[in-house]
Amino acid sequence: MNRRSLVSIGALVLGAAVLLSATIVAQVPAPLAKPKPAPAAKAPAPTGKPYTPPKTPDGQPDLQGFWTNSTYVPLERPQGVTKEIYTPAEAEAAIKAAADREAEQTEPGTTADVHYDFSQFGLDRSQSKFAASLRTSLIIDPPDGKMPPVNAQGQKRAAERAAARKQAGGQYDSVQNMPIGSRCIIMGGSGPPMMNAGYNANYQIVQSPGYVMILTEMIHDARIIPLDTRPQAAQGVRQWVGVSRGRWEGNTLVVETTNFNGKNAFRGASENLKVTERFTRTADDMIDYKFTVEDPATWDKAWTAEAPLAKTEGPIFEFACHETNYGIANILAGARAEEKTKAEQAKKGSN
Amino acid sequence: MRAKLVVVIACAAVLLAVGQARAHHAFAAEFDVNKPLTLKGSLIKWEMVNPHSWFHVAVKEPDGKVTEWLIEGGSPNQLIRMGVTKNTVPIGTELTIEGYRAKDGGLKAVGRNFVLPDGSRLFLGGSAPGGTPAEKK
Repeated sequence: MNRRSLVSIGALVLGAAVLLSATIVAQVPAPLAKPKPAPAAKAPAPTGKPYTPPKTPDGQPDLQGFWTNSTYVPLERPQGVTKEIYTPAEAEAAIKAAADREAEQTEPGTTADVHYDFSQFGLDRSQSKFAASLRTSLIIDPPDGKMPPVNAQGQKRAAERAAARKQAGGQYDSVQNMPIGSRCIIMGGSGPPMMNAGYNANYQIVQSPGYVMILTEMIHDARIIPLDTRPQAAQGVRQWVGVSRGRWEGNTLVVETTNFNGKNAFRGASENLKVTERFTRTADDMIDYKFTVEDPATWDKAWTAEAPLAKTEGPIFEFACHETNYGIANILAGARAEEKTKAEQAKKGSN
Repeated sequence: MRAKLVVVIACAAVLLAVGQARAHHAFAAEFDVNKPLTLKGSLIKWEMVNPHSWFHVAVKEPDGKVTEWLIEGGSPNQLIRMGVTKNTVPIGTELTIEGYRAKDGGLKAVGRNFVLPDGSRLFLGGSAPGGTPAEKK
């Protein structure tokens, strides 16, 4: 059992003070001797003056550095919650409950127990910095905090994709049938939109004249975003992370991405998904990150979420995912061994 | 009272939302829940590479024969960030590993728990034995 004392009330009260963004930076201190204010102390004092971000040598608002979008806030508002913003006490309780849950030991002999211990490997969200928030969901539009319903066209496509998977055989029949993340191709943190990866949810942003680069720690994808006015790539150019074009609107970096390859469907979207991201530095240690998802072939309405990036410490560590991904071979070998056992049992049964 | 109820409902809902296992691949497909094991041995190599650590452990069988087992653990990134290095768990460290054996019957297992000779677990709460004190960031 690995239960730790949890986030300081002080940090969440401070969060209330900066409610304009409804966002604070926090972490769950390990055995808490005395509650200390979390790094949220760096959040802008409520002076009423807007924050002015520093500038790069070539005059861009400076977003550079190491950031994390780790959070306990779910994408969609949980069932039974009707408010948009928790009180600090409610948010603290929600984080504590979630962190406790992550630190709980599993029951020996259950499928859930067949895993390494997250706490032992420092992978609990509570063991690293996370962007805490008083929001009850990352989704801010629709106002109910839920994704819009999938339309008929989207449902039809989902059924077709499921049928295609079924036709391809079992998930462990071949490497190609296994999930993309398990195969070390791409994971959800890269986006766009950049979603909290659960652990190793870290990014590095680097800017140079005319470009912004976003490096995702898990699993080491670099998005290169040109800032000139070049046209979007031809329709036939399709990539795992789509093709992005960026521009500055005041202090906000706006990035529009289309040309996805459709093999990594974000929440069931089609390959014609369009993601518009907005990065605005609101404090030395915070970037307000919002994204809007448009795909009329899946949802009748666009939807928008706010998933803040909190400053963290670098460097980004290498993610040589393929190098020790023995799991693929082991899983396939395990499936073949099970088939063999079943076949032998069936043979015995028929004798 | 009502406020308390709201918090309880909110907590329950959040639990449901975040309760799912977070893993790079399906461990229950790789290792057999019906083959729990406890191994005692000494560390001969630690592949500290993402997405998963692999610990090579020399295990002495009852007949004196030594076999090499491969034990799968978690991503090293966060450990490194907390100051854990290969020197933190030096070669030769005696480990007791509680886990589950690979479905294919090979000398491979997932390390559910890594226990040191003094009974403490490795890395728990970031307090890696013998390593740089894990500064809480």
